[in-house]
Amino acid sequence: MTIEIPNNTYCTKSHEYITIEGDTAILGITHYAAEQLGEIVYVELPEVGTEFLKGDIFGTIESVKAASELYMPVAGKVIEINETLTSEPELINDDCYTAGWIVKITGFSQDDLIDTLSSADYLNHIEE
Amino acid sequence: MKNENLKNTALYEKHIELKAKMVPFAGWNMPLQYDKITSEHLAVRNNAGLFDVSHMGEFKVTGDGALNLLQKLVPQDVTKMDEGKAVYTQLCNPAGGIIDDLIIYRLNNTNNTYNFLLIVNASNLKKDFNWIIANQDDTSDTKVEDISDSYSLLALQGPLSSEILKDIGLSIEKQPKRFYVIETTLNNLNCSVARTGYTGEDGVEILIKNADAIQMYNLIYSAGQKYGLKPIGLAARDTLRLEAALPLHGNDIDEDITPIEAGLKWSVSLEKDHFIGKEILEKQVQNGTDKTFVGFKMNNSRIPRKGCEIFQDGRIIGNTTSGSIAPSLNYPIGLGYVNKSASMKPGDKIEVMIGNKKFPAEIVKKPFYKKKKG
Repeated sequence: MTIEIPNNTYCTKSHEYITIEGDTAILGITHYAAEQLGEIVYVELPEVGTEFLKGDIFGTIESVKAASELYMPVAGKVIEINETLTSEPELINDDCYTAGWIVKITGFSQDDLIDTLSSADYLNHIEE
Repeated sequence: MKNENLKNTALYEKHIELKAKMVPFAGWNMPLQYDKITSEHLAVRNNAGLFDVSHMGEFKVTGDGALNLLQKLVPQDVTKMDEGKAVYTQLCNPAGGIIDDLIIYRLNNTNNTYNFLLIVNASNLKKDFNWIIANQDDTSDTKVEDISDSYSLLALQGPLSSEILKDIGLSIEKQPKRFYVIETTLNNLNCSVARTGYTGEDGVEILIKNADAIQMYNLIYSAGQKYGLKPIGLAARDTLRLEAALPLHGNDIDEDITPIEAGLKWSVSLEKDHFIGKEILEKQVQNGTDKTFVGFKMNNSRIPRKGCEIFQDGRIIGNTTSGSIAPSLNYPIGLGYVNKSASMKPGDKIEVMIGNKKFPAEIVKKPFYKKKKG
């Protein structure tokens, strides 16, 4: 099963994605990352209002197999978290780009995106 | 596969057909999972599961000197084994450390002499074989043979295993009792069926010639469908054994840990005259050990893994050796060793360092999971 990366989405080499929707950005992990982790059983979410720098850890994902930290692709402030993941962390496995989003942020700068990969470059990157 | 040095079991084609995710393990190309790990796990707990564990090593130890050789090598009293009996035991070094853990099966005598089967861990096979040979007395009539390359090992585990066996022609009366083995013919296939396993459930392990392995697998797989049988990979094998608090060599036990420290005293017979490592084990039983093997559950959702530090009252008291979410219990559990100074009664609070944060946990009784009375 291939799941397409949505438009206006950039990915990191540590497998987070960021989808830009105007002043807001949606963060999550890529389908590839979710597949690699396997069944996700727990997601530690940040608090709404937390301000992060680029590269900060903003959460942790636990799967049956492994734990994985989540890194901010850009600096920004958390304005919403996906509370549903507390009871249904498997949404990340099922649908990482829609129902399985993790946080929404604002106050980011487009300049920070320079270190991310376009979806095409990311797909090439994971095939290497 | 990418790694050409990996060996495939006789059931490789089945795994591909069943869409297994294959991984390298101890030099073998093995199925990690076919479905979700938790679904496979629960199938074994509630119904039945079929495992290919052909990576495990099998040795035959035969001849008049076989009994004395094994009696010297393991802490169990092999002289008490009747034909058809199986025991869980260890190979210990002179310091009492566990070279490997294994099951010894005493098969029916052949040519009027002893006939033992040893099933050992894949990753320790060569080391074990060399250790056994090195301890063999040149003058005795004993043959030690590694038959691993000619045989496959299937495990049928779960509460409905016995029903499935019945449906493929092994009546309940003919089935071996727990920790016994029989040599039989199922659907014209010669095999040994042992009532042993590594899941904490009822079930059997079936040793069969490679050439017959696929036929036997298909036979069990088809018969098991109406009972909800699933193929099970190594990942669920690990969560199943962990819930049952069965130690994994290389994680929970190794050459620096004795069976006494690992809580395996029940498998050590100190009444025996001699076995390698006996003096140390005897002392540890008399004086106590410096560390204790404990089980714990997390009081949150973080999952401990091998090698996390364990704290009590702010002091480091030990390390974890295994950990996972427990699919039957729905919380994370772990095993580890703690200093004897620590308080480790069930309910005692500890903390486990995961990443760089400490998370609350508590000591619980082992095993974490006990099978339903059937």
